[in-house]
Amino acid sequence: MPYLSFALRNLKAKKGRSLGLAAAVAFAVMTVVTLAVTSSGLEESAAAIISIGKADFTIAQKGVSELLSSTIDTGERARIEATPGIQSAVGVLVETEKINAQNPVFIEIGISPNQLKQFGVTIVKGHVYSPTASHQCMLGWRAASNLGLHVGSSFRANGTVNTVTGIYSTGNSFGDDAAMFPLPAIQGYNRVPGIVTLVFVKVKPGYQVSKVEQSINHNMPELTTIRTASQFGRADRNLVYLRAAVTGSTILAVIIGAVIVGNTMLLSVFERTRELGLLRAVGWTRRRIVGLILIEAIALGLIGACIGIGLSFAVSTGLEHLPALTGILHTNFTPMAFWRALYTALGMTLIGSLYPALRAALLIPLRALSYE
Amino acid sequence: MSEATLGPSTSSLVAGQGAIEQAPVIELRDVVKRYRGGVLALDRLDLVIAKREFVAISGPSGCGKSTLLHLIAALDGPTSGTVLVNGHDLTKMHDLSYFRRRDVGLVFQLHNLLPRISVLANVEIVMYGTHLNNRARHQRAKELLEEVDLGGRGNRLPTQLSGGERQRVAIARALANEPGILLADEPTGNLDAESARRIMELFGRVRSDGVTVVMVTHDEALAALADRTDRIEAGRIVSSTRNHSG
Repeated sequence: MPYLSFALRNLKAKKGRSLGLAAAVAFAVMTVVTLAVTSSGLEESAAAIISIGKADFTIAQKGVSELLSSTIDTGERARIEATPGIQSAVGVLVETEKINAQNPVFIEIGISPNQLKQFGVTIVKGHVYSPTASHQCMLGWRAASNLGLHVGSSFRANGTVNTVTGIYSTGNSFGDDAAMFPLPAIQGYNRVPGIVTLVFVKVKPGYQVSKVEQSINHNMPELTTIRTASQFGRADRNLVYLRAAVTGSTILAVIIGAVIVGNTMLLSVFERTRELGLLRAVGWTRRRIVGLILIEAIALGLIGACIGIGLSFAVSTGLEHLPALTGILHTNFTPMAFWRALYTALGMTLIGSLYPALRAALLIPLRALSYE
Repeated sequence: MSEATLGPSTSSLVAGQGAIEQAPVIELRDVVKRYRGGVLALDRLDLVIAKREFVAISGPSGCGKSTLLHLIAALDGPTSGTVLVNGHDLTKMHDLSYFRRRDVGLVFQLHNLLPRISVLANVEIVMYGTHLNNRARHQRAKELLEEVDLGGRGNRLPTQLSGGERQRVAIARALANEPGILLADEPTGNLDAESARRIMELFGRVRSDGVTVVMVTHDEALAALADRTDRIEAGRIVSSTRNHSG
């Protein structure tokens, strides 16, 4: 019998306990992974907004509670445009609105028609709205398809009825599932004249993007540049808090899980005192005894991680389809989610079984052999 | 249990099979063992056992027989004195696991087999950590079971064997790492006469293979089957009798 089989036989011998323990690990993993994929989904959504503009980087107000609360006024826009190395700086106002039950956070982008090309917008049907029109809009092709609208249709948004003048494509799923309005009109609807949410910047050829970023961050400390999803926290504090909550809940899950695993493994060591004593008496080293307990724990952790990932997938899919969360909650199963499941499960089982393993290794063979 | 109940052939099974070498393999000098609570188990005990010797330690219950065996097996340490086994001073060794695995084989009164794994696996588990791989361990365990006449029962669970058969599995397990010394603590204590006879026969074969055998028993008739019987009373050896010439 190979050592590994011998180490794992106790899991088979105590099926009920093993399953119970694996279930506890699985629930902890499920909680952690579901939170992580939800948070990752939010980050992805946020990152998708900045990637609509196909810019080298995006500028937002620093330290706002959420990205869409960012405000950049005309003065700041002028200073951005005057920064050496800037080829174009497209200012857009981004708002969200509940259109219907299926679209609770519909994205509306205010942008001047003469900057659409720089923003990466292609008109696929109809024509662009006029710069100062107050009741015109364009729909992304996904949004038009989902809402069943076409050129000439009426689209109710911002408390008014707007005529759809054209259908556009950005090549970005979030951008194509949104609507675009003349910038002054949407500023007016939201009572923020002259204000934009984000500025999408393209750098002139021959200039280093990082240098231009540095220059803006240095000269305008109230603003921040964002190039990747991981830099989002500079502008969006909610994402920072969310990440912290995910990390905190992971640590908490590991601690609670470790206590449960530790208790059960300790009970198992007590039950096997005579057996462990015998193994020590016939020459097993302490290290081999520790290995015996840890292998059992690792196996439980791996089983728990697999079940936990499955549960997390089921739960997050279910949450996405809850009427109250449809269109709001997007989960994103990345490889990182699987790693998180693995290290959470292994963390709690290894930490939890460390004390029982040491206790088993330190058993005095003679005393253990006479244990009743 | 008397010698008569074991059958007339028993003494010939264990006696006079191979000359005893004079080099001491076990040597206890001035050994005192006092347990917590002040109970004195061994009192300035001296003992020398030569290589290939079959020694029975006899005496009444509570006289210190098992304590003596535990000290030789490195399962316990003396309060004072020296325990030398195969030239190792056990009182000065830090890692006794290696010694227990390679130098001594242990047979307990209650055999102590693991009930949920096969007989074969029970023999194999003491060979973990040796140079043998899975296949070699498996093969050696099978050979050992054949040597103790249990060749066809390797896949059974210990609970499916009789008491005598379990004890023979325990002997096979004790011999797995080819130790020079076999230590048996009341190995026939729970067995019927026929099973006890077969165990003694097995010890005789082991001894003739060059293994030193030390058996603790309170049964004087069984003790007389060894090369030498040392009698302990109140923690001291009070007599040493050579039962037959080596």
